[in-house]
Amino acid sequence: MTAELPDEAYVVALLSLPELWPARLAALLGVVRPTAGPCAPGPVGPDHPGDGSATERSARDVWELVVRGRARLEVGRRRLHPPDPVVLARRWTAASAGVDVAGLWAGCVRAGVRVDVLGRPGYPPELVADGQAPWVLFRRGAVMDLAGARVAVIGTRRASPVGREVARELGAGLSRVGVRVVSGLALGIDAAAHDGALAAGGGAPVGIVAGGFDHPYPLRHRPLWAQVAGRGVLVSEWPPSARSEGWRFPARNRIIAALADVVVVVESGAAGGSMLTAEAALARGRPVMAVPGSVRNPAATGTNRLLADGAAPACGLDDVLAALALATVGSCGPPVPSRSPGTSGPAGSSGPPGYAGPSQGSVSGGSSDQGGTLGSTGGSAGRPAATGRSTGPAARVLEALDWDAEPLETVVRRCGLPAPVVAAELVRLELAGAASSSGGWRRADSDRRFDRRGPER
Amino acid sequence: MLATVRSATLLGVDGAPVTVEVHLANGLPSFTVVGLPDAACRESRDRVRAALVSSGLDFPKTRITVNLAPSGVRKVGSGLDLAVALGILAAAGQIDGRALADTAAVGELGLDGTLRPVPGVLALVSAVRAAAVIVPSASAGEAMLVPGLVVRGASSLAELVDALAGRTPWPAHRPGPAVALPAPVADLADVRGQPVARWALEVSAAGGHHLLLVGPPGAGKTMLATRLAGILPALRPEEALETTRVHSAGGLPLPAGGLVTRPPFRAPHHSASVIALVGGGSWWIRPGEVSFATNGVLFLDELAEFPRSVLDTLRQPLEEGVVRVARARHSVSLPARFLLVAAMNPCPCGEGGPVGACVCSEAVRTRYGQRVSGPLLDRFDVRVVVPRPDPGQLLAPAARSERGRAGGSPAAAARVGAVRELARQRGVRANAELAGPALDRWAVPAPAAARLCEHRLATGRLSARGLTRVRRVARTVADLAGEDGPVLGEAHVAAALELRADVTVLRAGS
Repeated sequence: MTAELPDEAYVVALLSLPELWPARLAALLGVVRPTAGPCAPGPVGPDHPGDGSATERSARDVWELVVRGRARLEVGRRRLHPPDPVVLARRWTAASAGVDVAGLWAGCVRAGVRVDVLGRPGYPPELVADGQAPWVLFRRGAVMDLAGARVAVIGTRRASPVGREVARELGAGLSRVGVRVVSGLALGIDAAAHDGALAAGGGAPVGIVAGGFDHPYPLRHRPLWAQVAGRGVLVSEWPPSARSEGWRFPARNRIIAALADVVVVVESGAAGGSMLTAEAALARGRPVMAVPGSVRNPAATGTNRLLADGAAPACGLDDVLAALALATVGSCGPPVPSRSPGTSGPAGSSGPPGYAGPSQGSVSGGSSDQGGTLGSTGGSAGRPAATGRSTGPAARVLEALDWDAEPLETVVRRCGLPAPVVAAELVRLELAGAASSSGGWRRADSDRRFDRRGPER
Repeated sequence: MLATVRSATLLGVDGAPVTVEVHLANGLPSFTVVGLPDAACRESRDRVRAALVSSGLDFPKTRITVNLAPSGVRKVGSGLDLAVALGILAAAGQIDGRALADTAAVGELGLDGTLRPVPGVLALVSAVRAAAVIVPSASAGEAMLVPGLVVRGASSLAELVDALAGRTPWPAHRPGPAVALPAPVADLADVRGQPVARWALEVSAAGGHHLLLVGPPGAGKTMLATRLAGILPALRPEEALETTRVHSAGGLPLPAGGLVTRPPFRAPHHSASVIALVGGGSWWIRPGEVSFATNGVLFLDELAEFPRSVLDTLRQPLEEGVVRVARARHSVSLPARFLLVAAMNPCPCGEGGPVGACVCSEAVRTRYGQRVSGPLLDRFDVRVVVPRPDPGQLLAPAARSERGRAGGSPAAAARVGAVRELARQRGVRANAELAGPALDRWAVPAPAAARLCEHRLATGRLSARGLTRVRRVARTVADLAGEDGPVLGEAHVAAALELRADVTVLRAGS
């Protein structure tokens, strides 16, 4: 019966042994990196086989060796505290007695998990060239391959409401034009980006997760994991049984950087996983973009720092598409940044000040510093201006609105009108698309920069 | 050797008639009480004996059997003391049994023979089947609230025996002057700024819509909520009787006139148990806070700190206006028609809202939001975010002149009263009770208003039940604005929609 098991079954079995990490497995298998990638092997893969003198063995042979206690790990010479190969082999042999190879493999087959070893057929070509490519890759989903334009949309878990909205829009906007959204399925920005991509239903999402597929983390993202797998692909370098320990996350981030053609950081604190991902992307020569944020927003400290350090600003979908060299509408010239003003469009006519109308294109008169390219992309799709020039309470209420969400009380205080009047006007403005009420009231003129054809919500 | 005296015992907030039968027989002296007495009731033997002796009366040295009929009903408390004592006296011939004909007795005896008031006199007195009732003089005012009953107050057993024998006239107990209590001193004019919260408070009071205030500590949520009772109209006679009955049955102190005329304001601490909130107990079913708040306000400060299991017990009374407490031996219905007002912080650190102010992680915020169940949150028709007041408004000299003007409680109470009157003309006590045909008759959204609702419904931000509730609130908003026609304008519906702030904001999530 065991004779019929594919070699991958033994890969899974081997990885279930204690202290048999992917890098050690690679060393045992005699797998070497096909080409020297742009990134020298870093902290990941310390037990790299080095000179590549070992010949490749099948995982089944290695398993036999382990079972018989003959497996010997060739320890890299540079290790400060090299493990004792004999002790390790003894430990593996003892543990292997309790491993049900066929059962583990049946579990993988049932869950639709695909296992690939670096350098062997089937391993996604998009990752092979990377210097830190995972030795073993687990995939699960409806679209197993990773081909196609990919943009990583990443950011902090403690995102602001606006940050989440931007991520959702960007995810939807990218997906709608067929770009595959890559993210880490974490709380906050990551989840919002994939939410948007799933809602748009275009490019198949790619989720890079830090643990095994059996243990969604955070637990309340279990449905999100299932949705991403159902419409795209989940990728992990750990077997399904692995838990999402903290140290796996930075390692996961390098895969995001390696897989993405462009990395967009939507919101990030001064330090955090997103900054590490951005660094990893820079090390690989991937364009890193950042969404500018308010100086008062602590969740934008990191992104603004990235901008100061030379990252390209992502102020709209076109910026990202241009960086991806896929922009088709209204932007020529240097791909990044694509914010040359003066492009013709409805916004060029600089609408009336204040509340001008519901269309996202023509209301940008309120933000003259940013009008131009963005308005031109969305104006044609906007709804017709409904009310024309209005100077009544609506204009006063709109004037009192800020770009940041604020409670009704603050708006009432600022515009000095009775509360019932302000409340009524705000709801009307929202219907007209000029105000937004998620988590408080704010202007919505500049909404949907990242998803021009999206539905209202 | 046999005498019967009528009395009553308490079941929830209602009285149940009890006939006290006393039988004296030859034999070894003993004193037995049968007929399901509880501990307090059984102890009446010792109180009665001491009271009779201290009052200079004779305690019969015979075999005394007291039966409390109907014997299948539990008798609770000490209210039967007086009836037992009178029964013994009548059976022993110390008083004329005919004097007790068609007269009931309710009250507790002290060892010195004084008559002490008991909880629930109003309910007990309305339950007795007699033309006259003897009560402790301290409870006479309360007993006189029951129409068509001769109330005889007495302060001690000796005085009572003299009056029964005709030796002295009955002490006169006129009902205290029914003074209209002044509105609570907390005036709405004390609140600086907060126009939205004030408006929400007024809408809530005028329409009887449950109100949720969300904001950081120090924003004045509690201050606002405590002013709600001051702008509610005085209780109508039948409401006053109902509330008085509940308060009396629960043993709460009653106002001087005996009648609760102002809407009660109950603010249980968040450590309250389920029993404390909805009522219960195994022998004596005591009304809970929801019943004490009937026809008034139940204020739950720090809503998220209440155990979820306790909060969810509120859902049924919120829907039906009564609490049905069932125990193994009996079940009772307690009135519980109250205006629910709750205050909570947006997150554990309290800051919420503005980016950067909150130090809670998303998981912590989500967990906090989940402490209040969705169905309960859904029952709040008016939800407002209360930010900290403007420092300028806080430091400005108190606008004393506001007290008499539109911002003060008296003016707000007048507006609230007017809207409640409109609701009464529509056949309900408040707009929040409009339902079915009445709602369709009195809350018809204008075409523009219907478009607003359609948009919210289409984007999933309003449910079908939510729409009904929005129409009720819009009715109140329109009434407050002086537009009491059946059609709801766009502005009113928009305002009602805004007053129903997104619950999702409270339940932080990605």
